[in-house]
Order: sequence, then C-alpha cells, then structure tokens
Amino acid sequence: MAEHDPAPETSAATPDVHQQIGALTRQLHDSLTGLGLTAKVQTWAGELPDAKSRLSYIARLTGEAAEKVLNQVDQAKAEHEFIKTETHRIGKLIVADPVAAVAKGHVMNFIEDVDRASRKVDQHLTDIMMAQDFHDLTGQVIARVVNLAATIEEQLIQLLIQTAPAEAAVKAPAAHEPYTPALDGPVVNGEGNPDVVTDQSQVDDLLASLGF
Amino acid sequence: MSKELRFLIVDDFSTMRRIVRNLLKESGYSDADEAEDGLIALQKLRNSSFDFVVSDINMPNMNGFQLLGEIKKDDKLKHIPVLMVTAEARKEDIVMAAQQGAAGYIVKPFTKATLEDKVNHILTKMGMK
Repeated sequence: MAEHDPAPETSAATPDVHQQIGALTRQLHDSLTGLGLTAKVQTWAGELPDAKSRLSYIARLTGEAAEKVLNQVDQAKAEHEFIKTETHRIGKLIVADPVAAVAKGHVMNFIEDVDRASRKVDQHLTDIMMAQDFHDLTGQVIARVVNLAATIEEQLIQLLIQTAPAEAAVKAPAAHEPYTPALDGPVVNGEGNPDVVTDQSQVDDLLASLGF
Repeated sequence: MSKELRFLIVDDFSTMRRIVRNLLKESGYSDADEAEDGLIALQKLRNSSFDFVVSDINMPNMNGFQLLGEIKKDDKLKHIPVLMVTAEARKEDIVMAAQQGAAGYIVKPFTKATLEDKVNHILTKMGMK
C-alpha cells in the first residue's frame, strides 16, 4: 500500500474551509434576516429545551409504567403459583381421605385462601390496566413535540427553497397543518408553578373553595 | 338501581376510554358507550339516552369545554352530570369547568378510588343513587 500523508494538504485547506464556513454562516444569517426568520429561529431555540423536557417526561412515564407492570405481574404470578400449589396439595388430601379433608377444615381453608389470592390477582390486574394510562399522557406530549419538529422542518425547507440557486429550485411542498391542541396538555414539570395543580387533592381544594 | 345507569365515555385515546370503561364496570356500572371526541359525543347524546358523561377536555373537532357548553345549553341534556377527566391541570381550566357546570373534575393520572369516589359523590348529590 502506498504511503500517504494528508497533513500538508489538510493544513493548506484549513483557512479556505474556515472562510467557506464563515461565508455560509454570513449567508445563512442574511437569509434568515431577509426572510424574517430570525425571530422564528429564536422561538425554536426557546422551544427546544421545552421539547427536551417533554421527551424526558415521556421517558420517565413509560419507564415507570413498565416497572409498575412488571412488579404487578411478579406479584400476580406469585399468587397464581400459590393457588396452583395449594390446589395440588388439597387434591392429594381429598384423594387420600375426603371425609377427613372436609372434617379437619382443609377444604374450607383452601377455599378461603383461593378466594383471598384471587382478589389479590384481580387487584394486580386492575393496577396493570391503570398503568396503561401513560399512553394517553405521553401521546399528548408526543403530539406537541412532533408538531414542533414539523414546524421547524417546514421553515427550514422554505429557507432552502428561497436561498437555493435558480437551477436547483424546487416547488414548495403543500403547507403542513398539524392538529395543534389549543390546551396545555399534561403538566410536564408543575413543581413551583402556582398556576397548575399537581394532584387530585389540590383540584378538590380548589373546587371546594368555589363552593363545589 | 344504580347499575342501570348509562354512561358515555368521551376521550380521543382509546386506551383511556377502555380504562375508564373497565373501572366503571368494576364499580358496578357496566352500561357504557364511548365517543372519541365532543362532536361524536354530542350526536350520541342527542340520538340516545345517557345518565352520566365522563369527558376528557383536550380532543380534536370539539373539545371537552365545548361539549360541556353544548350539553348545558341544551334543555334535553343539561340535567346530565358531566365529570371532566383530563390532563389539563391549570387552575383556570378547573375554575372554567366548574363555572360552565361540570359536576366534577379529575386530573390524570388518577386512581380507581378517585373515579369511583367522584362518580358516587355526584350520583348521590344529584339523587341518582
């Protein structure tokens, strides 16, 4: 393989590259200003941290939901295992001596144990169902982040179209009109915000203060 | 008696409609229908008979506030209690819901006990239970 040392070439090209980047930056700045997009870019910059915290909120909620479901499944499976073991045990007792199994209270105890375990399993299933509420909450937050990304994409496309050389000009795509919720949606970070409630007891207190 | 009450669950997320429906069933209210936004809910309310509405707020086409307003200005529907179940946690939204005639307000995420408690409280208050 032939020896090749790109260093001299790179160092020779560096000032030129820097000049080109500088020119592009200037051109971009002028284009943004000319198109009145500077203010919009500032708005995007302000919204990006909000988008980051919304994505963190989604990660937290989905993580908590997954953990909650796995814990509930573990507990439900333990109850189910108990029922299975007890069923085998009482079955053997009944086969060996059915009268004694009833007379000594084994059958009645078994029925009570199964009833108790079944209630617990039912509670775990309800909790698993409730853990799925993350879909609604994260769905609303995702819609907002997607909307922000779509808006930025649209504006960047417009910028490219308007600053591209004539021979590279392309037709502008049809305007994108996403569903924009008029309301705030889930509170991603309500701590220290006096305008929002963070739990149901605060809702109840507020309604009570209004006479409800 | 209370088990014959008919509920309309309004939410644009099918997961949440299913959760509310199952929770109502566990609480003894098994007769329920669903609508995915306020517009569809209003059509169902006008074409059928319901005793109780559980509604989200943030929905496309017609949101929960608009639905509440339509229900309360309709002489045939205004007696139906509307329980808002929503992620909207701004105090001004809660106050607005109360002023527009909502029977109750629950913020998501909520528990089975909270829903059961609010529904029973409203039914008792309105003499429906």
